[in-house]
Amino acid sequence: MGQESLEQWSNDGDNGESADSTEVPDRCLSITIRGPWGHFRRIEGNIVKQTYRIIPRTTVAGLLAAVMGIERDGYYELFSPGNSAIAIEPVREIRTINMPMNTLSTSAGNLQSLNGRGKISVKLPDPTTLRQQHNYEVLVEPAYRIDVSLANDERYRELRNTLEAGKSHYVPSLGLSEHLAEIEYHGNFEVETDHGGDQTEVNSAVPNAVEDVVLEPGTRCQVEESPAFMRRDAGGRTTAGFTAYTYNPDAGPLTVKNVDPARVDGRTVVFV
Amino acid sequence: MLSPEGFRETYSEADLAEELPNSPIGSLRDLQYLYGKLYTLATTGGGEYAPYLTPDAADDLIDTEDSLIAVRVDVSNDQPRLATDNIGPIQLTRYTDGLVQQVSHCKYSAARGIDHSVTHQAGRNSDPEKLARYAKERLTAWAMDDVVQKVAGAHDDGWIIDQLAELAENEQVLESIEDGVIKSLGGESATALLTVQVRTEPNGEYRWPGEIDVFLEAMRERKLSKLVTKNKANDSSGDATDLVTGRPSRTVGTSEDPQNYYLGKQLEKFPGLDIEEAWRSHPISEDAAVTVMNAEAFVEACTYRTFGTKVYYLPYFFGRISPEKAYNLYGLLYRALSGDEDTTPIEDAYIKRRELDIDEADLRFYVSAVMPHQMSRYDVFGETLNGRLQYPRELAFTHNRLVENISAFNTQNDWTAPLPTNESWDLISTNNQRLHSVSTGWYFYQTFGERDDADADADDPRIEALVSVLGGEPIPVEILLGEYVDRIISEETDDEYDEFPSFLVASQFAQLCALADGDLGLLTTTDPSKEPITREPRYEEHTMDIPDSLATDGGYPAETKLESFIEDTPALTPLSGEESVTSERRGAFLLGALVGDIGSYQEYSEDRSTTLVDQYPVKSITRSRIKKITQETIAKTLTYTRQEKKGGKSYPGTKAEHIVDRLRETILDPDPDEWEIGTDDLRFYYALGITYGMNDHPDWNQTETDQQADLEEDY
Repeated sequence: MGQESLEQWSNDGDNGESADSTEVPDRCLSITIRGPWGHFRRIEGNIVKQTYRIIPRTTVAGLLAAVMGIERDGYYELFSPGNSAIAIEPVREIRTINMPMNTLSTSAGNLQSLNGRGKISVKLPDPTTLRQQHNYEVLVEPAYRIDVSLANDERYRELRNTLEAGKSHYVPSLGLSEHLAEIEYHGNFEVETDHGGDQTEVNSAVPNAVEDVVLEPGTRCQVEESPAFMRRDAGGRTTAGFTAYTYNPDAGPLTVKNVDPARVDGRTVVFV
Repeated sequence: MLSPEGFRETYSEADLAEELPNSPIGSLRDLQYLYGKLYTLATTGGGEYAPYLTPDAADDLIDTEDSLIAVRVDVSNDQPRLATDNIGPIQLTRYTDGLVQQVSHCKYSAARGIDHSVTHQAGRNSDPEKLARYAKERLTAWAMDDVVQKVAGAHDDGWIIDQLAELAENEQVLESIEDGVIKSLGGESATALLTVQVRTEPNGEYRWPGEIDVFLEAMRERKLSKLVTKNKANDSSGDATDLVTGRPSRTVGTSEDPQNYYLGKQLEKFPGLDIEEAWRSHPISEDAAVTVMNAEAFVEACTYRTFGTKVYYLPYFFGRISPEKAYNLYGLLYRALSGDEDTTPIEDAYIKRRELDIDEADLRFYVSAVMPHQMSRYDVFGETLNGRLQYPRELAFTHNRLVENISAFNTQNDWTAPLPTNESWDLISTNNQRLHSVSTGWYFYQTFGERDDADADADDPRIEALVSVLGGEPIPVEILLGEYVDRIISEETDDEYDEFPSFLVASQFAQLCALADGDLGLLTTTDPSKEPITREPRYEEHTMDIPDSLATDGGYPAETKLESFIEDTPALTPLSGEESVTSERRGAFLLGALVGDIGSYQEYSEDRSTTLVDQYPVKSITRSRIKKITQETIAKTLTYTRQEKKGGKSYPGTKAEHIVDRLRETILDPDPDEWEIGTDDLRFYYALGITYGMNDHPDWNQTETDQQADLEEDY
């Protein structure tokens, strides 16, 4: 069936590199993903293992690609700006704990070649060596309501059918493969644009609107910037855009000025 | 470095707005970038090369004798040669403030090789021979360096560097430099910067490196080259989106991080475990990377150590930073860098912003507690981008207010406090150092279970509590009760134990009350039965002396007091409705109060060395033993009642009847065999009861307080 024309589908017709512009689709699929644990490693650290509080958009894309069985590096175009819209809403209070884990060294001296002379050779950490203990910051019972729309009709239907059937091609997880995820499908919803006036209560995390959030006494409001878009290139993939999410860690709404939110299933969300 | 006033004068709002990042702070890197920007503006000023310089590296050399050695080269003719004017080939002078820009020093870690700039910093008190060698290396090593040579090849003025390199091939020239340096130093050692001065025009001036673009360009390229070649990477760079500015740029993969969270060599984070690909997962543009590195001085100034961890405490303003806020932030950072090292950044911020309302939420702090294991291996134990000045400050105020004003803690000569105050105990006396105590974690150190400092774990509750308070996040009540009881039991079982640690328990209770303050809301629980503990107690403020007449109307002062204490403590009397666990808690408290009361009587009137308090230590209290201990304690009470009445004392009912009656009621319904209260909960409120009971003796109070004070001094 090919691609629906973007003019119909989004506000600005070019396949907008501007990650800032809010794309409002006319329909979306809505799911809740949750699990006992989650860990979305922040890119600022490699020797420390802190987690994002809001599941990054790139992770959502990877997770949905896993549901559809799309290969690694094969789905970035599908989830690129202008071709996709995703809103993320934390639906449980965001809580983290420190979880020390025993890890193997990946320094060159501690890597072992497997099948070193064969055509396919892999290097693995030597499992017999001593472990080092490292602290992982881990999300406790993370749960996010995700609204997702794809401009590619075929993929959209495929995703809807898979979700409706409660199936998944690969095992979905929250960041690390050991943190398994459960997906609850809510359905296919019309998206209405909401011009609710100067201030709107937004349920989802609000992308790129840090200074438009109204700070209110008693409402906690936090911000974090995470990768939003990836691009495939000759050497693999590169990050093509970031999003700064403002969110309420108590999973409540935030009051925001100057946004064009959307209404999905009685909730107010902002897509990116 | 510019003073905050100088900073304001040098950069107008419009100028500053040009330099400040265009996006709000959303990550640690954004914050470091902003710090690096302010630092660069305050030290080397704006301009293309400013972020690459390290003007503070040789700070201690400023205005000292023999602190700058320049090799003077004349390249204005066909043949390069050393200067022949009246100063000669070597100039030995003072490194002054005015020369900082001109010398344009760019330091590189001494252990890792020569400095990026042609200017090089020698080690402390280097001998003349060594300095002579460094002087020669300006030509032999720096000018011939691969990266510098590459720049020389591409730059219009590259020929100047080529001329230096040509000169480096001339043995005679090198000897002259060596002789010149040794001679000018007169055989003395010196701590100095070594650089060059170059004349490019006949009859022109000898110019410093900062005045010659190609030197600066070469310096920059040398510094940039390290961003892609560290840790055995050959060229970790590629085109991606800069994580600071969000703009497409050439990004680098092995840049440095002032906090070392990001080090090039951790393979597992990189695609295909290949360090060359590091830029894909951590794409930062060259300029941003260098600016971030410049944040180090400010970042380091905003740290302190506690519980064996290094705590970073970095102030910033929520949202996009305006010039006005940037001035303020610069002032905070400047004070942190130049101020008293004993104060934490939060105290420094408080000094300037004490008028801030708790709802004013734009001044925030990035807080993290880092446990270093080795140089390159450490863990972050607690972290938030949302630390707030208001929470530690309000907690400090609230705690002081509680101790000072609230009748539950008030001591009167004729009206014993339910809980004691004591000047020697930090948490049960008013204290103007409370903010320091809260922001350094000492606040929890005094009440939580003791641990070996060197071994703070990832889940050390003291760190968790510290970071929670700084970030305004509530602490689970369960953690507090567990820690409190641990500490009480360890004090009780200590070899030097000879008194029930009632001041410790009082301190813990005061802390619990302060954290429960309604405005702060720093207590949380997932257990509905503990929810009343998270509620703020409603103790009345003490406004006047309690008149003796209260006792004359037939009422018993102790009874009124117990009554009001229980009623005003939500943990012992819930607002309404379901109260099964609350009444169990009240039972534990009353049992403790009776044990404390009778225990004190045994000690002071009966002169017993072992009292009920010793007989039933906190760790012996469990749900299954409660019933038996209650029976035995009440039996003991009756014994003393009989004994006193035989001895001629007369009062109605039994001794401590006000406690006994209430205890009977609560301990019977429900039967302790069916209690559901958690052990820590049970034990803490039992300990609180003991403290209450022991302290409810106006006549004995004086002696008791003195003895406890002695104990505290050893503590």
